[in-house]
Amino acid sequence: MFQAKHQFIAGLVAALAFVGAAQAQETYKIGISAGLTGYAATVDRAWSDGVQTAVDVLNEKGGVMGRKLEVVIEDNRSNPQEAVTVYRKMVSSDQVNLFSSGCVSAGNAAAAPMVAKSEIPMILCSILPKDAEWAFTTLPPAGFEIEKRFEYLRDKTQIRKVGVLHDPTPYALLQKDVAQKVAAKYGIEVVSTEAYKQEDADLSVQLSKMQSAGAGAVMKIGLGGTTLTAAKNLKQLDSPMLLLTSLEDLAVFKPVAEVLGDKFFFVASPSQVFEAYPDGPLKTAIGQFLDPWKKKFGDRDPNWASRGWDSVMLAAKAIETGKSFEGQAVRENLEKITGFQGTTGVYDMSPTQHQGISSNPFVVAQIIEGQVRIAQ
Amino acid sequence: MTNSPSITSPEAHGLARPRTRHFGSAAVWVLSAAIIGYALVFGGYMATIVAFALIYAVFVSGLNVFMGLTAQVSFGQSAFAAIGGYTSAVLTTTYEWAPLPGMVAGLVFALVAAFLIGFPTLRLKGHYLAMATLAIGLITYEIAVEWESVTQGYLGISGIPPLGIGPFEAVSDRAILAVLSVIVVILAFAVTRIRRSRLGRAFSAVAGSEEAASALGINVSRYKLVSFLIAAAIASLSGSLFVHVVGYVSPEVFGLHMVILAFTMVYIGGLGTVAGPLIGALIISILPEVFRGMKDYQDLAYGVTMILILIYAPKGIAGVADALDARRSA
Repeated sequence: MFQAKHQFIAGLVAALAFVGAAQAQETYKIGISAGLTGYAATVDRAWSDGVQTAVDVLNEKGGVMGRKLEVVIEDNRSNPQEAVTVYRKMVSSDQVNLFSSGCVSAGNAAAAPMVAKSEIPMILCSILPKDAEWAFTTLPPAGFEIEKRFEYLRDKTQIRKVGVLHDPTPYALLQKDVAQKVAAKYGIEVVSTEAYKQEDADLSVQLSKMQSAGAGAVMKIGLGGTTLTAAKNLKQLDSPMLLLTSLEDLAVFKPVAEVLGDKFFFVASPSQVFEAYPDGPLKTAIGQFLDPWKKKFGDRDPNWASRGWDSVMLAAKAIETGKSFEGQAVRENLEKITGFQGTTGVYDMSPTQHQGISSNPFVVAQIIEGQVRIAQ
Repeated sequence: MTNSPSITSPEAHGLARPRTRHFGSAAVWVLSAAIIGYALVFGGYMATIVAFALIYAVFVSGLNVFMGLTAQVSFGQSAFAAIGGYTSAVLTTTYEWAPLPGMVAGLVFALVAAFLIGFPTLRLKGHYLAMATLAIGLITYEIAVEWESVTQGYLGISGIPPLGIGPFEAVSDRAILAVLSVIVVILAFAVTRIRRSRLGRAFSAVAGSEEAASALGINVSRYKLVSFLIAAAIASLSGSLFVHVVGYVSPEVFGLHMVILAFTMVYIGGLGTVAGPLIGALIISILPEVFRGMKDYQDLAYGVTMILILIYAPKGIAGVADALDARRSA
């Protein structure tokens, strides 16, 4: 009787352990290190919501290869040290299978060696860390936003001299370097390059220098409220210069357009000009994202969220191709993805190319009478 | 600048009571050792948090020498952590130096900078000194952002080698914790020795009243400078430790956030005590993790806890322990 009781308990424990293991296997955990507070909050909250939307849609269809997905999100406060801590938590406590992390480049770079050591693939919103064996990004190359603006100036205007106004963030610095390198290819001269800080409340000195140097347009690189500051300063200076800014949340652009009217242009992702975008595979892919996104978030800007969506779809594609959830297999199959139509463009990965967007998906847009339009 | 009698009186330093039983202080050390021991045994995520806490404990120990022992205020200690961190990072990545010489070079640079800054600045007192040191921290931060050819600006420097001497490298969580624990213990011992030395008594005199210390023949400017240099050297060490433990450095690491965190640690731990920086750093690092599950209410819970600690333990946790010891001995 005593032995039978022991056998029963042992059997029960084994059964519970089996059930526990089976349940643990059922969910594939996607970790997000995001700056939900701090300077990256707007962008990273959108990215995280995009990831969650993709996960919800896939789970409604039964998950990936029959396995449900689960999102684990931690706030890194837009701080590299905090990012290392939350990455470590998600690796050891939550045991996430893949990271789909936000746009805090320094945080992702700081944690990348530790994540690589744990053999967990990362699909990022930010630029790639130095050692990117395990990291992939949905971010288009820095040159795309610059080239699209130069193309517009060359093809649609007589302006051949520009000023570059940039903040000190890594992505902005990369874009600034590209602008200086490729301007001549478009017959354009960069006559002035000026820096500013995100918290600057006045940019009239930088803008005056550009105007004095003969610039006909300002190429602004950087996020946040400084775009409106630049617009107001241009208005105050009664400057004839056009303002062409980099990718940003449409909510930021609307008051800028009210100040500068048709002198204001911006780089837009396809999802931001969905209605005006020509039909094709890209528009179809964006539509698949926008349906659930709009149901949940209405008219909220879809740009960063759409890339978060792409990161999950890329992971699902890699898992299904390799028929494996194992980290190494997912990493290798991410490298094999080619011709994958995402919401930001076509992804072509390879062992040496972890920044997948290979063709320029952007357009130059304007806001006329409150409506976003592709600039003519 | 004068300070409260609790900081400056010999009783508070334990100088006049060699036979006092330090059960309270021992409890603080035991609690700290238990937290570190837990992280060492179980490793993982907790080990990362405790490792950061120990690095901060080093930084705060330096701040404690300047603020606690000498009763001066500096909001610019992050500048010396940045100098140490960036020197180590640049020398080990660009010039392929070993970590130890890199750290030593960082220490030398930090000392030179502290001397050049401290010599004129420490003639200031009170709020003027606080503002001057705040400016030093902000200027250093801006240099780290703008001097891209060396610091790589916001892009940061990655690929920094781990702590190590010769063939030994502290790569695993446990090895890193062990190395940091040894450094913290050595530092605590050094601070204890300083407090009980002639130098410490001079610091205490300066802390009590600069005019009185001067009347007693103490060269106030010189001792303030020495205290500043010691604090800068320790801050530089903490900066170097950070970059070698994380393997990455960017300007945000040494921003105003670091200063605010360090001040919180030193006050929660106990200003002017030896164990205060360690227990303060451990508690301030662990508390956010305790409340992490509360999501949006995490910051609220953290803030309320801080307020409660400061209400019921205004001299910090180590200060409360010292007070208990004093009551038992009375």
